[in-house]
Amino acid sequence: MKSRPSAMTKSDGLPFLDDAAIRMFRVGKQFGEVSALKDISLAVHENDFVFVTGASGAGKSTLIRLLYLGETATEGYILVDGINLSRVTRRQVPWMRRKFGVIFQDFKLIPTRTVFENVALVLEVARLRPDEINERVCAVLERVGIADRAREYPPVLSGGEKQRVAVARAMVGEPKFILADEPTGSLDPDSAGRIFGLLEGAHQRGATIIIATHDNELIRAHSGPVIQLENGRMAMN
Amino acid sequence: MIRFAFKRALRDIRNNFYLHMVCVVTISLAVFILSAFALFYINATELLDAWKQGARVIAYVDGDLSDARQGDIMAKIEAMNGVAGVDFVSREAAYESLKEDIGDQSAILEGLNENPLPDSFEIRLSETFINLDGIGRLAASIAAIEGIDDVEYAQKWLSRFAGVYNLFKITGLVLVAMFFFATLFIVANTIRLILYSRREEIEIMRIVGADEAFIKHPFYFEGLLLGFTGAGIGLGFLYLAYLATVPNFAPDILMSFFEIRFIPGMLLAGLVLCSMIIGWAGCHFSIKRFLKI
Repeated sequence: MKSRPSAMTKSDGLPFLDDAAIRMFRVGKQFGEVSALKDISLAVHENDFVFVTGASGAGKSTLIRLLYLGETATEGYILVDGINLSRVTRRQVPWMRRKFGVIFQDFKLIPTRTVFENVALVLEVARLRPDEINERVCAVLERVGIADRAREYPPVLSGGEKQRVAVARAMVGEPKFILADEPTGSLDPDSAGRIFGLLEGAHQRGATIIIATHDNELIRAHSGPVIQLENGRMAMN
Repeated sequence: MIRFAFKRALRDIRNNFYLHMVCVVTISLAVFILSAFALFYINATELLDAWKQGARVIAYVDGDLSDARQGDIMAKIEAMNGVAGVDFVSREAAYESLKEDIGDQSAILEGLNENPLPDSFEIRLSETFINLDGIGRLAASIAAIEGIDDVEYAQKWLSRFAGVYNLFKITGLVLVAMFFFATLFIVANTIRLILYSRREEIEIMRIVGADEAFIKHPFYFEGLLLGFTGAGIGLGFLYLAYLATVPNFAPDILMSFFEIRFIPGMLLAGLVLCSMIIGWAGCHFSIKRFLKI
């Protein structure tokens, strides 16, 4: 993996002296006239397992997108691993995104690539050697229990299997952060439980996990911190 | 990196086969038309050069000539500007030459009661003078001499051909430019369609941290491959057309001093390279507009 671009400096002169892995300070996001997020301040520490919850339209997905630079904040500051995201240049965005493994409700798998190729993509973009890619992808597919479907294409997989591929893709690069946007939203309870178990496994191996979900049962079953959003504002932390 | 990009380009072509074929057919057609033009241009230039080297004017005499009159006409012609030399060809010599030329079919001449050929003067031209306008003027001057019935220059039809050639010369560059931009436009738009059909895949690549080069390079390879394949097919069809038509088309009189040949190797390589550049450029313009990373 490439090293940090030299233009980025820790904390970037902002007055945060703590060691939060992710810190948001008075973050806001406007889409035209619509305010998706307003005045969000929070801290996520290394190896935390955090839930972001709230009703549909509360801003959960927007918050996740802000973190992996799918969107940029219109107000406030976001520090990830000490790096001020508002100062990240366009060329540095890919490097920054490799810190995250992202899981979506609609899986976002490439239908014309096999399961193996979908997962390998993460390591290909990081320019790893083919033998290393092969080794790591096989290991992660084994871990998520889908190694026997490695040569299949996503359209023939069930929803649960697709999400396991997505989890494998999020984990294969051993990112510091795993972001999951409604990862169990379109799954049956068994598949949802299995996906959640995989995320817990990644957490045990040291990853910081942030899950956006409105599944209260899932939240109750776990003891991590919960960030509650209502109409784009924080209701509870 | 290059290996990855190349492999991905091949896979993309396989996965978007129909769209890529549209692109290849477009390039093939453009290359076919442009190289057909080049083929004509090259051969036309060589034909005119060959003609210049063998340029002759024949003046046919009206009836019988006395030796004195023959000498008089010869002197007049020799004095004309652009004439390198004059030979008198008697009707008997012309008849023998004709018999020799038609070979096995000379029996048809035996039915004739008398030699139908006239006496003639064969006029060689000086190299500096050889151009169609000059020869036309010279032929008119010779025709005006009393005792001359008709004046022919063997490749007379070339004057009309030269007109077409000159037209091609002028319009050639315009045609090349038009085809270049038309092909570029079509290739660029086809690649845009391909990019559009793959927008989700590109979005996913971005999410997992693909940089600009990782996303773009396979498309550039695709552009180069499309250009190369299109040129190969276009030139292949042109060669087949050449093999099928030229031996039947070329008149014997033309082939006696000139051989129609295919586009030379260097120019073929140049056409392939140009086609690859068009493929590359088409990709570049589409990528620039579509992929705003």
